[in-house]
Amino acid sequence: MNRSEIADYCLEKLKEKGIEKANCNVSFSEKKELNVEADRMSLFRTTFNANIGISVIQNQKKGSLSINKTDKESINKAVDDVILMANSSHSDSAHDISPFQPKGEFQKGEKFADMENMYLRLEEFVEYVKDIHPTINLEAAIIDYNQSISYFKNSNGVNYKTRVGMYGFGPMFTAKDGKDTSSFNYSGMSMLKLDKPLVEKGSIKRLLKQSTEQVRTTSIPSKFKGKILVSPDCISDFLNFIISDISDGQIISGKSIYMDKLEHQITSNNFSLHSKPVSNQITDGYFLTGDGFLAEDLTIIDKGVLKSHLLSLYGANKTGRTRAINDGGAYIIDPGNKKYEEIIKGIDKGVLLERFSGGSPSSSGEFSGVAKNSYFIENGEVKYPISETMISGNISELFKNIIAVSKDQIDFGYCILPWVAFDGVTIS
Amino acid sequence: MLIEKNISKYSHHFNHYTELRVQENRGTQIMLTNGDVTGNGSSAQSGVSARVFKDGNWGFSSNPEINDESIAQVVNSSIENVKFMNKKDSSRCGLILPETVGEIDVDFSTNKNRENQKFWVEFAKEIDGYIEKKHTKLISRNVSIRSLDMEKTLTTSDGSNAYSMIPRSFLFIMVAVEKNGAPIELYEIFGGLGQKEDNLLSPSDYFAKIDNLIDRLNQKANGVFPKAGIKDVVLDADLAGILAHEAIGHTTEADFVLGGSIAGDFLNERVASPLVTLVDYANTCMNETCPVPVYVDDEGTQSKDVVIIKDGILKKFMHNKESAKHFDSQPDGNARAYAFSDEPLIRMRNTAFLPGNNSLDEMIGSIDDGYYLTQSSNGQADSTSEFMFGIMMGYEIKNGKIGSAIQETTISGVAFDVLKTIDMISSEMKWSSGGMCGKKQIIPVGMGGPAIKCKLNIGGR
Repeated sequence: MNRSEIADYCLEKLKEKGIEKANCNVSFSEKKELNVEADRMSLFRTTFNANIGISVIQNQKKGSLSINKTDKESINKAVDDVILMANSSHSDSAHDISPFQPKGEFQKGEKFADMENMYLRLEEFVEYVKDIHPTINLEAAIIDYNQSISYFKNSNGVNYKTRVGMYGFGPMFTAKDGKDTSSFNYSGMSMLKLDKPLVEKGSIKRLLKQSTEQVRTTSIPSKFKGKILVSPDCISDFLNFIISDISDGQIISGKSIYMDKLEHQITSNNFSLHSKPVSNQITDGYFLTGDGFLAEDLTIIDKGVLKSHLLSLYGANKTGRTRAINDGGAYIIDPGNKKYEEIIKGIDKGVLLERFSGGSPSSSGEFSGVAKNSYFIENGEVKYPISETMISGNISELFKNIIAVSKDQIDFGYCILPWVAFDGVTIS
Repeated sequence: MLIEKNISKYSHHFNHYTELRVQENRGTQIMLTNGDVTGNGSSAQSGVSARVFKDGNWGFSSNPEINDESIAQVVNSSIENVKFMNKKDSSRCGLILPETVGEIDVDFSTNKNRENQKFWVEFAKEIDGYIEKKHTKLISRNVSIRSLDMEKTLTTSDGSNAYSMIPRSFLFIMVAVEKNGAPIELYEIFGGLGQKEDNLLSPSDYFAKIDNLIDRLNQKANGVFPKAGIKDVVLDADLAGILAHEAIGHTTEADFVLGGSIAGDFLNERVASPLVTLVDYANTCMNETCPVPVYVDDEGTQSKDVVIIKDGILKKFMHNKESAKHFDSQPDGNARAYAFSDEPLIRMRNTAFLPGNNSLDEMIGSIDDGYYLTQSSNGQADSTSEFMFGIMMGYEIKNGKIGSAIQETTISGVAFDVLKTIDMISSEMKWSSGGMCGKKQIIPVGMGGPAIKCKLNIGGR
């Protein structure tokens, strides 16, 4: 059986056993990965894997199963097991699969890893750090190439094939000068090609320089209520509260504070958020949703107004609301009209928040956590790196108090984000 | 047993230092949301991997097929990968790793008949039905049952042969009420080492525990905001465990030390009150099996306890073979991999403070104005040993007595400073193992300890 026939074989077997509705997603992945540990490249990994994910709905009861074997004996057993699993459940009229859509084939990225270039780019990065920032310890840095070929088919005739080849890079580092140590920091990005030095990508160059400044830190003068300017590396920590709260789990369980806020203002009107998995702007997007629809680009918040929840087909059926046209991710926050430096100039007292180590926010949005790798801002100037500083507030309220969004954005490959300044944060 | 217990017959493929591992991770999950089955699935991921070391470099390869051909292929591919690295960098030519030999054959599978998925769906339904009927003011209920069996066989060129089947299973209950228009939630996790049949005996075993959970949720809903600042606190075992793991444990992993962790400067120095002894247990603590027992690690090293802090003095880091060589130390079995396709990393196993001589009542009674913190939501640490934990549940302490519950908050501090403020440790030892530790890979870990009294920074208003 060749790769493209496995999903058909699964669906055929399920049909023989009287199954009404089923999805089958068969994927094959290959990873090549070079690892730096303690400033030195020392490990080369190659891994191969396969995955067959089967979901079955029988009498509105659903079961799901995944295995990583593709021989007929394993598939036959998986088919029997997933039917048993569905039969063990309780019926729920919200379960469904995607309707027929025209056959499609999508691909992105290189078909083979350029190992020589991967090695050269990582070596170049290690040398850059040694030469330019000798106080930096590269605890780890990973460059990898992942290729995934997937076949998504269902019993309604959906038939999609995707192939994605993507490079990724993620370093983690700490600066150390004598006995003085900075907090660790890290970043990550996705790339279709290794056409530029890795240090030029994303926010890496800025973060490395900052770490060398952060080996000696100072406490803030006193507790105050002020502004925070949140960096592109850190803004996702805050954004994730809204994303989680408009997604299946929180909406279905009835805990979302944004449940009835569609077409309502939920953030300041200078904030717009999009999820653009198929846009050319996003390098590392996706073509299909998890439940078998073609993904489309989506505006989630438009000038502060909530335009869409992020509900799956099940979530939409369950709550009587509209299915989102994608699965979220691939986020782009629209740029504002002020440069980063101008926003700093407008802050009388606050914190430039580069990394946030926080407790999970409560369902009501209350949060508190430690400002890491961050700086004190006073009278429009970044003064010094800070230590042991806690920030707290309510995330939902914070997004209603956005004083500026930067014109500058960082492209991480999987999202494009600016700096965002909020007012009314307790800093202690 | 689903995989072969001894794979040493494949060692004829080895030309250099080599680890060969066959592994299967099997998981099941059932999730009920307000009574509806919103999750009902299983997964099985298995395969073979090899890792080869030569002249200071590593090659690794994995394949999901497990047969003679794929085993030969992953070994050869690992050799090709290490050759690629050695061609680029021969600066550590001739470096040899410490030789270790470990043997184990251990299986924690249940001796009972295995129940099918329907049994466990009904088990969860019965618990959910109890909550729905008895606690009508809740705005949401989540009941889930999860299990993970990790079965693996290892053979190494040093002569180690190890087979282990380490399962864990949990019942997770989360409930929420509404207060002033906002949801307030609380959860509890039951279970640990063992398969579901050994850990989850009857739904009715949990009814009183659920009543207690919802009592605490109601206390929390009426809770006060803590007052921010440096406070005397009693951290219950759940939080002491996360302090041991996140704030101290990670800073003393040798790869973290090489990466610049502040602990690198403190070996054989006082880092804590003399009351403090902190151990990463391999598999057994006080004659009882730990939540995540490791007998031979994934480099084939027989696992031993690592006494990280002894009577307040930092004594040892956690190592793999390569870091042990670098620090002129010995590996103690901390090299662990999550999946067949993962290479071993330096990981904790069961990290805990040792119990002291105080009672919890004495500790609370000694505080005029502070907090008793009982449950964490998450935790993170740093190379500086500065840590942050989310607090899911806690109480004020006023004049030596427990007061009002508090709303969710965060605590923070610099661990090597906070440990010096510990002046009381309770005699009771508790373990938790519900979560996964995240590094490059996730992995199950155990955390534990007694309650400890210390000073740290609490967030609030």
